[in-house]
Amino acid sequence: MTLEAEVEALRKVPLFHGIDETKLRLLAFISDRTEYPAGERLCSQGEEGDCAFIILSGDADVLVETPEGEKKVAQVSENSIVGEIAILCDVPRTATLVAATNMDVLTVSKDDFLKLLKEFPDISLEVMRTLALRLERTTRDLADARRGAGAG
Amino acid sequence: MVTILTYPVVYFLLELPKLIVNDAVQGDNFPRSIVGFDFDQIPYLVLLCFTFLFLVVVSNGLKFYLNVYKGRLGERMLRRLRFELFQRVLRFRLPHFRKVSSGEIIPMITSEVEDVGGYIGEAFALPAYQGGMLVVQLGFIFMQDPLLGLAAISSYPIQGYVIPLLQRRVVLLSRQRVKNVRIIADKVGENITGVAEIHANDAAAWHSADISDRLYENFKIRYEIFNRKFLIKFLNNFMNQLTPFFFYLIGGYLVIEGNLSIGALLAVIAAYKDLAGPWKLLLSFYQMTADVSVKYQTVVENFDPPDIHDTDRLTSDDTVELTGDVKFDNVNFSGGAAGQEVMDVSLTVPAGSACAIVGPDGSGRSEVLQLAAGLVSASTGKVCIGEHDLDKLTDATLGREIAYVGGAVHVWTGTIRDNLYYGLRHRPLIPPEREGEDLKLYKRRVSEAKLTMNPIYDLGAVWEDLQAAGADTERDLDEKALELLKAVQIDKDIYRLGLQSRFDPSMDDGFADKILSVRNSLADRIAKEPALGGLVELWHPDRFNASASLADNLFFAVPSDPDITMDDVPDLEEVKAFLSETGFDKKLQQIGLKIAETMLELFSNVSGDSGLLGAYSFITLDEIPEFERIVRVAKSEQQRPGLSEADRSRLTGLAFKLVPARHRLGVMDDALKTEIISARKRFLNEVVKDNDKFVAFDPDVYLPPLTIEDNLLFGRARVDRRDARRRIDDVIRAIVEETGLRKPIIYAGFGYHVGVAGSKLSAGQRRKIALVRGLLKNAKITILDDIATGMTEDDKSLREGLRSILAEKTFLYGTSNADIAAEFDQRFTFDQGRLADKG
Repeated sequence: MTLEAEVEALRKVPLFHGIDETKLRLLAFISDRTEYPAGERLCSQGEEGDCAFIILSGDADVLVETPEGEKKVAQVSENSIVGEIAILCDVPRTATLVAATNMDVLTVSKDDFLKLLKEFPDISLEVMRTLALRLERTTRDLADARRGAGAG
Repeated sequence: MVTILTYPVVYFLLELPKLIVNDAVQGDNFPRSIVGFDFDQIPYLVLLCFTFLFLVVVSNGLKFYLNVYKGRLGERMLRRLRFELFQRVLRFRLPHFRKVSSGEIIPMITSEVEDVGGYIGEAFALPAYQGGMLVVQLGFIFMQDPLLGLAAISSYPIQGYVIPLLQRRVVLLSRQRVKNVRIIADKVGENITGVAEIHANDAAAWHSADISDRLYENFKIRYEIFNRKFLIKFLNNFMNQLTPFFFYLIGGYLVIEGNLSIGALLAVIAAYKDLAGPWKLLLSFYQMTADVSVKYQTVVENFDPPDIHDTDRLTSDDTVELTGDVKFDNVNFSGGAAGQEVMDVSLTVPAGSACAIVGPDGSGRSEVLQLAAGLVSASTGKVCIGEHDLDKLTDATLGREIAYVGGAVHVWTGTIRDNLYYGLRHRPLIPPEREGEDLKLYKRRVSEAKLTMNPIYDLGAVWEDLQAAGADTERDLDEKALELLKAVQIDKDIYRLGLQSRFDPSMDDGFADKILSVRNSLADRIAKEPALGGLVELWHPDRFNASASLADNLFFAVPSDPDITMDDVPDLEEVKAFLSETGFDKKLQQIGLKIAETMLELFSNVSGDSGLLGAYSFITLDEIPEFERIVRVAKSEQQRPGLSEADRSRLTGLAFKLVPARHRLGVMDDALKTEIISARKRFLNEVVKDNDKFVAFDPDVYLPPLTIEDNLLFGRARVDRRDARRRIDDVIRAIVEETGLRKPIIYAGFGYHVGVAGSKLSAGQRRKIALVRGLLKNAKITILDDIATGMTEDDKSLREGLRSILAEKTFLYGTSNADIAAEFDQRFTFDQGRLADKG
């Protein structure tokens, strides 16, 4: 896959929805293109996050440690970005990612991503907007859940 | 001797023209008979003229001989003087170096004495030759006519009086100048050493102003000197021009009166013309004497401190065995500043025991340890080991019987091996075998050294004192060094340096073979384990390696000279010819152009300080305008002026650096890959085969231009797999351990060049190397100050290791930490230069 194809894929990632193409190309270029065979770990819960993963193809399982051992809580697939929280603020990885199938991933390092945000404030705005939307949805879900609990 | 020989020659040279004019040209009564032969007028003239020619040749030949002799003498004296000064530097007591700096000493030894050397050659020859010349010529003039003689010397008394007067001022000025230049050298030297500080503190302006001021000072002094020098010159010239006036007047009158022949007058004028030379030279010799003696004094007074060590202490090879207790007997010492004193210290460290000297910086701890090492001497009191007063011992004893490693270590420019074995290089031990031309050159070197009283030690000899280190062979010594490196925990670093170094297989055939066998077993393992295979792309003649650069893929070879970088490759003749033959030049330029365009598009509106450009772009920030121009020219329809040769090379160079798996720019398709592979074969056949500028990738051959690591792997870690490099390194390390190759790789690391004063090593590595250097000496007394003083587990085990290595020996360990001192059975605690506590 060439840079152009990666840009196409990036465009489908909600976080980068409103960002113009040249900047997406730059983001793609400064990222590393990495392959993960099925079963390989992308990152482990608790370790310090140094990069975010943009999944170009394949799926990954999201595992969380529980007293009974690691437990799968979700799955992420094509055109999603994972691990971005850890590179925006210094918190340890909140979950483990394991490739479920062979994967093609763009990894963008924390340093470069922050440099990019600093350089182009409109990207920051876009990221902020998306995160705010996510927060809003989470809050609403939480409220719904409470209401549901209260009703039931 | 030769000088005196020249006098009659010169006299005849003066006499002959007169003879020619008066006797041969104007004379009569021919033929003349000379030694039984008769000569007519014309043959007589010819004979005289040829005699004249012959004498000219002889006199110039003598002059040539004298000059060469003078030059050689001067150079010999200069060598001797310089060596003497250097030796004096070595004889300075250590505290003296707080007052003088290398920036001052260097110009003194190098440039300042240069004139002195030139002068020494002249000192005897010039007055003798030129003075004699002057006497001969004046004598000749007086012989022609005393009046003319008086006229010739009439200006000398004036010149002799006025000029020294002016000269004295010049001498003082040049003394000032010498000192000023010295300060400039010192400041420049200091700036170079501290250049990092200058940048870190933005102090460049301050230093520039400082130097600029000094340079102005220099300008002022020189201008003043010029003024005076040229005034002196003016006076001289004027006086010299005045004399001919008298000649024409007096001589002309005498000729008219018939008291003097025309020939004599011509000869006198010719003689006077020659006279100007010696007189001028004598005057300038006087000036030079004054100048040089000032310089000599200014230099020498700096090398003659009152407390300088005896030469014997430095050069003597007498050693005594230092056994017995280390004893301080009411020792006082002052380093010249607060916190560098030792006051009335008496202590005894029994032979063979380990002892901690405890105290914070400035407590006198370091001074006590330096006193014990004989590096500095007590001002009153005595430091003894056994029966011997350290101050009375030679360097030969102190340097071999005592190992001292202080807080500020120095690593010499050179290889790690040089540094490790430095402590064993006292005197040349086994002279190298020389024959034929080599032997002749060597003998000449030795005889020159003897003539100039320089040492005749042979640098080419074996200097390492194996016995002192307790080793029998060099292999043994390497083993010992390795053990100690392990003990101080730096073997891993050296191993890594070894992997990164290049190794010349002609030195040791077996090693290259072993590397090849590891390469094969690594390839086997990679073939068997799919997980491992996914991490590496090995070199394969028929496959494109996406993790390697386009250049590696195209040539499938590397330049044999590791100094040729990727930027130079497009300019190599062979490469150029090959590219244009295969038509790859256009293709690569197209690729380069595409890369350049993409880079400009991606990065042209990124600000330079964001740091994004440096890490990922092929192009640096400074190169952007250049490539903008190249892209603009390439894109424009107009053919002229078009791209220059250099522009094309740059584009090609850009394309060469492309690593397809990392830079996904979409310029590589399968067709191009196939083309590259077939071109690669052609390149190997046509260029690499019969050209030793390139070495082809061949799985069965060791490639000297690549590092040992690259030779082991023989491929590239895949850039599109996370941590591939690190994981492959682990595998390599495991295989290396299994095959016992670790040791040879560490030895290869011994050949690693540490950079200027060890600048390529970290501070910790430098200390450890110095520590191993000290331990390798296997001395009876080991003194360590401020080494491994951390409370970490590593440091703790290092200290334990040190104590066991030095178990039977006297061991003094300086530290500021009382907890560390508690590890030792015996402790002396210092406070403000006084012994505060014994334990």
